[in-house]
Amino acid sequence: MLLSLDKNDTRPLHEQVAGAIRRAIAEGECGPGDRLPSARDLSEALDVNVNTVLRGLRGLRDEGLLDFRRGRGVTVAEGADARSVLHLRTRELIAEAARLGYSRNDVVDMIRGLP
Amino acid sequence: MTDRTKGTPGARRGPRTPAAPRTAGHGPGGPAGAGTGGLGTGSGTGTGSGGGTAARRAGPVWPAWLWTAGITAVLAGSPLLARERLPDRLATHWNSSTPDGSMPLWAASAVPALVWLAMAVAVILTARRTPGLWPAVLLPTGVVLGGAQAAIVRSNLDVADWHQARMPGWWVAAVLIGATLAGVAGWLLVTRRHTGGRDGGDGTPALEIPEGRRMVWFSRAANPWLQLLAALTGLGAVATLAALAGGVAEPDALWGLFAGLAVASLAGGLCSSVQARVSERGLEVSFGPFNWPRRRWPAADIVTARAERRSPSQVGGWGYRFSGLGTTVMLRAGECLVVRARGRRSDFAVSVDDAERGAALLNALAGRTG
Repeated sequence: MLLSLDKNDTRPLHEQVAGAIRRAIAEGECGPGDRLPSARDLSEALDVNVNTVLRGLRGLRDEGLLDFRRGRGVTVAEGADARSVLHLRTRELIAEAARLGYSRNDVVDMIRGLP
Repeated sequence: MTDRTKGTPGARRGPRTPAAPRTAGHGPGGPAGAGTGGLGTGSGTGTGSGGGTAARRAGPVWPAWLWTAGITAVLAGSPLLARERLPDRLATHWNSSTPDGSMPLWAASAVPALVWLAMAVAVILTARRTPGLWPAVLLPTGVVLGGAQAAIVRSNLDVADWHQARMPGWWVAAVLIGATLAGVAGWLLVTRRHTGGRDGGDGTPALEIPEGRRMVWFSRAANPWLQLLAALTGLGAVATLAALAGGVAEPDALWGLFAGLAVASLAGGLCSSVQARVSERGLEVSFGPFNWPRRRWPAADIVTARAERRSPSQVGGWGYRFSGLGTTVMLRAGECLVVRARGRRSDFAVSVDDAERGAALLNALAGRTG
């Protein structure tokens, strides 16, 4: 799988790591059931502290994109490909809303207001 | 990751190499050499199949037969030609320049020739599967046997009885030095033929890395049979240890069994899977579940990287293999990432999925730093 980080990105690193993996899942770089490289591998290759990587991975687990299994390492969860696409679009929506001056709550209200 | 099929619905594939997708090689429109032969074919013969590549790399076989025949002639002929000046029995073995073994003239002529013939034929026939390795074996062996025979004939010349034959020590040294030189020459011949010309050049086109991006590539491959073997022998080792602890049987035999099983399990486990990763640190290849042992090539040391299809029969089997193609870590037939490091005469290859993009990224990183 190919991962890519933006060196000029100003977001916290753990979000960037999570974003790179989320994007890889969304683009089909790794499918459900595939094993992710170990956190140490990722940290060495991306030149990011291993705890930061772990924090990013835990975030993705909480989103339901990754499974942590004892003895099997970290795997891509079932249905993660579709979920990660939805996640990406939601994030884009929030970013777009922020650019136009709407807060997250405004977007949530907007979604609630839809028929 | 597992070998993905094309066309994840609606998904952008991210930055792809300009090279054709893997499956396009055999299609009518596929670029020449994008299939089995790897990219950057320089020799340009039209054979496209994997077998064809192996046979082509092996080079012609007739020099091997010529060399075999020539050495046979030297071994068999030299005592016969000089028989007028030789005693009936020839001294054939020395113990610090005093002869302690002899053979009749006909045997001194026939025995080494037959030994050589049998060995050379066996090597040439097996070398068909391990392409072009014969010079590395047959050149030094031929020089050793031919030189020894010449020395034997020379020291028996004009003596009345084989007991008087003398073998100066420096002749032995000269023969050994000659054999070493022949071995080096054979090795150079093998590596030059397989690595020179054909792929000194480009390899896979480099991936375009956008400015300010850090890209890394991960891949792995595993051999489930080796994993199974490692698990079974590991279980066996544990069972033997339990039997030892329980004092069931003779400890000496059990310790041997335990050691054998443990070594087999460890070796199988280490060789059963391989991980490769390409990052700004270069290419890193590590083995087994513990990511150890590990080899690393800094990106600046990579001359060229490419993807190539290889099979165990081309490189001489599964595992860590040395052959005319260089070093190959072969876990399964199919796609391999092949790199040429700076200052090396031969390639390093590892069988991993998605090798083409790994090679493309590696070429990009090598170009950036080098």
